[in-house]
Amino acid sequence: MAAGGGAGNKTYSFKVVLLGEGCVGKTSLVLRYCENKFNDKHITTLQASFLTKKLNITGKRVNLAIWDTAGQERFHALGPIYYRDSNGAILVYDITDEDSFQKVKNWVKELRKMLGNEICLCIVGNKVDLEKERHVSVEEAEGYAESVGAKHYHTSAKLNKGIEELFLDLCKRMMETAQAEERAKGNGASQSTTSRRGVQIVDDDPQAATAAGGCCSSA
Amino acid sequence: MSHRSERRGIHVDQSELLCTKGCGFYGNAAWQGLCSKCWREEYQQTRHKQIQEDHALAERLQKEEEAAYANNHQGATQPQPAIAPFSKFEERKTKEKSRKVNTMTKFFTPSAKTPPKKESVPGEALSTPSPSVSRKPLETDRTTQEFIDFLKTLKPGREIFKQCRAFTESMAYKRDLGADELSECVQDFYQNLSDRLHTHFKGSSERVESVMDEVERYMMTRLYEEVFCPETTDDEKKDLAIQKRIRALHWVTIEMLCVPVDEEIPEVSDNVVKAITDVIEMDSKRVPRDKLTCITRCSKHIFNAINTTKKEAASADDFLPTLIYIVLKANPPRLQSNIQYITRFCNPSRLMSGEDGYYFTNLCCAVAFIEKLDGQSLNLSVEEFDLYMSGQASPQRPQAVPSPACSAAFSQMNDSLDLLTGLGVRQERVMEGARRLESDLIDWRDGVEHKVQDVLERFPLEMHPPASPTASSAIDADNVENDHLPSPLQPQLFAG
Ligand SMILES: Nc1nc2c(ncn2[C@@H]2O[C@H](COP(=O)(O)OP(=O)(O)OP(=O)(O)O)[C@@H](O)[C@H]2O)c(=O)[nH]1
Ligand SMILES: [Mg+2]
Ligand SMILES: [Zn+2]
Repeated sequence: MAAGGGAGNKTYSFKVVLLGEGCVGKTSLVLRYCENKFNDKHITTLQASFLTKKLNITGKRVNLAIWDTAGQERFHALGPIYYRDSNGAILVYDITDEDSFQKVKNWVKELRKMLGNEICLCIVGNKVDLEKERHVSVEEAEGYAESVGAKHYHTSAKLNKGIEELFLDLCKRMMETAQAEERAKGNGASQSTTSRRGVQIVDDDPQAATAAGGCCSSA
Repeated sequence: MSHRSERRGIHVDQSELLCTKGCGFYGNAAWQGLCSKCWREEYQQTRHKQIQEDHALAERLQKEEEAAYANNHQGATQPQPAIAPFSKFEERKTKEKSRKVNTMTKFFTPSAKTPPKKESVPGEALSTPSPSVSRKPLETDRTTQEFIDFLKTLKPGREIFKQCRAFTESMAYKRDLGADELSECVQDFYQNLSDRLHTHFKGSSERVESVMDEVERYMMTRLYEEVFCPETTDDEKKDLAIQKRIRALHWVTIEMLCVPVDEEIPEVSDNVVKAITDVIEMDSKRVPRDKLTCITRCSKHIFNAINTTKKEAASADDFLPTLIYIVLKANPPRLQSNIQYITRFCNPSRLMSGEDGYYFTNLCCAVAFIEKLDGQSLNLSVEEFDLYMSGQASPQRPQAVPSPACSAAFSQMNDSLDLLTGLGVRQERVMEGARRLESDLIDWRDGVEHKVQDVLERFPLEMHPPASPTASSAIDADNVENDHLPSPLQPQLFAG
C-alpha cells in the first residue's frame, strides 16, 4: 500500500494514526518525538496535527507521517476516515484514567474489525511520571495488549521517557509487515488494490456515543 | 464590524452558481455555466470534434518532439544513448504483460488502432463554433507543451509521453464505464508507471513523485470534462444535498462548535476570510493536485488563525472544528463532486501519506460531520436543535445587552405608545363633550317646544272671518275698484 513497490533500496513511507481519548497526551507525545518539545509556549510550531519524521533503520530510509486525530467524543464516528490506509496505529491512554483505557479497548476492536491484521497496533500508557496516581494496572494493560496482538509501551511526554523506543519499534514492525506483503506479492498473490480508495464512514457504535463532547482542549 | 461585512462579501449568490439552463443543478464555468447533464447534451458533438483535434494536436506535438530528439542526437557521437534504457523498459513490459495480461495491455491496445478520423466529424459541429472549442485546447495545449518540456530532461521522457497520451486517448472511448471503473483504470496506470519509474530512478521517491505529478497534470487536464462529476454517478445529487444541508445550518455558531479562533482579532478574521476563499477556489481547478493545494492553503490559514488566537501549536482537536466552521461559512460549490474527483483520480501517494492527504482527509471528515451533525454534537438538546433547524427559533446571541440601535428603536416605540395613549384620552374627552352637547341640544329643543305649547295654551288661536276689503291695505290688481285712489296719470301729448 503506502510502502509502494519496486527495488530493494527504496524509501518506506508509513502512515501512523494517533488515537485515544481527549487529554491523554497524544499531541504531547508527537510534539516531544518530532520537535523535542513539551508544553512549549514558544510558538515555532504552527501545528501539531500532521508531523513527519525521517529515519534510517538498518540502512533503510523510512518516512514517517504521523496523523493526529480529533479525540473528542463527537468526532468518534470519523475514525475510519482517518485511519484508512494507515500502516500503524498508536492507541494512547492516561495511566491515571481508567476510562481512557476502556476507550483504547474500543479502538482496538474497531481497528481489527475494519483493517484486520494489516495494521501494527501499539498501546501506550502515557504520563508514567504520575505513577503514584496510577489507576490502570500494568499487568492488566500488558495482558490485554498481548491478547489482541498489540505491543504495550509506557511513556511520559513530560519526562521524554519511552517515546523514541516506541516509534523505533513500531517502524521496525511496519517494515516487517511491508516486506512480508512484498514477498506475498512476488509470489503472485497481488491483492493490494482492494483497500485503495473509497471514503466511507461506519455508523457509530451506539454505546460509544454516550458522553457528550467537551474537553480540556479549548483551554 | 468592518471585517464582518468583508466576510459576507465572500459569499457568492446561489443563483450565479446554478446551471444557466435553469434545470436546478449547479453550473460550472468550465461548462459555460451549464451543469454536467446540460453540458453533455449541448456540447456532445462539439466535444467529439475536440477529441479529434486533440488527437491531431498530440500527434503533431509528438512529431515535433521526435524531430527534436532526432536533432539532439544527430550531433552526438553515440547514435541513440537515450533510447537504450527504453528498449529494456519495453522488454520488461512485454514479459510483465505475458504474466499479467490484464493491466497495461488493456490500456494500450485501444489506442493502437486509432479511432476513425476526419470523416466522423459531423458537418453541423463544424458550423457551430462554441467558445469552449477555442478555450479548452488552449489550456490542454499549454499543459501538453509544458509536459513535453518537462519530460525532455528525462531519459525515458519520450516513452512516458507516448504511454500517457495513448492512455488518455483510450479513456475518451471508455465513457460508458462507471466512475469507479474509470478510477480503477487511471489508478492502475499510475501504479504501473510509478513502479517502473521506481526501477528507473533506483528507488528515489522524490524524483518518482515529481514525474507522477506532471503525469497527473497532463492526463487530468485532458480528462477533466469526461470524468468530473460523471453522469453515471449521483455526485451531482450529493452536491445539492450538502449545499442545502449547509444552508440549513446557517445558525451554527463558533461557540457551539468550540472553534478556538477569535474573529475580533483582525489578523484572525483576515485568515478566516482567506481560508474561506481557498476552499471555494478548489472548484475552479482541473487537476486533482491543484485542488489539493487549495485545501492545503486553506488549512494553513486556519492554523494561522488558531495560532494567533491560542498562541500554541494547533492539534487535530483545534483544527477539525475550525475546518468544519470554514466549510459551513464557505458552502463550497460542488463539494462532493470535488471530493470524489480527487479521491478517484489523484496520485495515491499524495493522498495517502502526504501532508496534502492529511488535510484532504480532514475535509472528508468535516463533510461527514456536517452530514451527520445533530444536537448532541453541538451540545444542544434535541428540541433546541429541531427548533433551529426548522427556523422556528434562532439561538440566543451571546450579547444579552441590547445594542444601541436596538434600544433606540425600543424607546421610539415607547414614545409612540405614550402618544397613542394620550390621543385616546383626548378623544374620549372630545366624545364626552359631543355627548353633552347633544343632550343640551335635546333639552333646548324640548324647552322651546314646551314654551311654544304653553304660549299656545294661554293664547288660543281664534279664527276671525276675513276682514272687509277696506281694512285691507293691500295694493294689488284685485282692488282696482278702489275709488280712494287718485286716478292714474294719463299720458299727455305736448304739441310742440
Ligand atoms: N504529567 C504529564 N502530563 C502530560 C503528559 N503528556 C501530556 N500531559 C498533559 O496532558 C494534557 C493533555 O495533553 P495533550 O497532548 O493535549 O492531549 P491530547 O491527547 O492531544 O488531547 P486532545 O487533543 O484533546 O485529544 C496537557 O495538559 C499535557 O501537558 C505526561 O507524560 N505527563
Ligand atoms: Mg491533541
Ligand atoms: Zn442543467
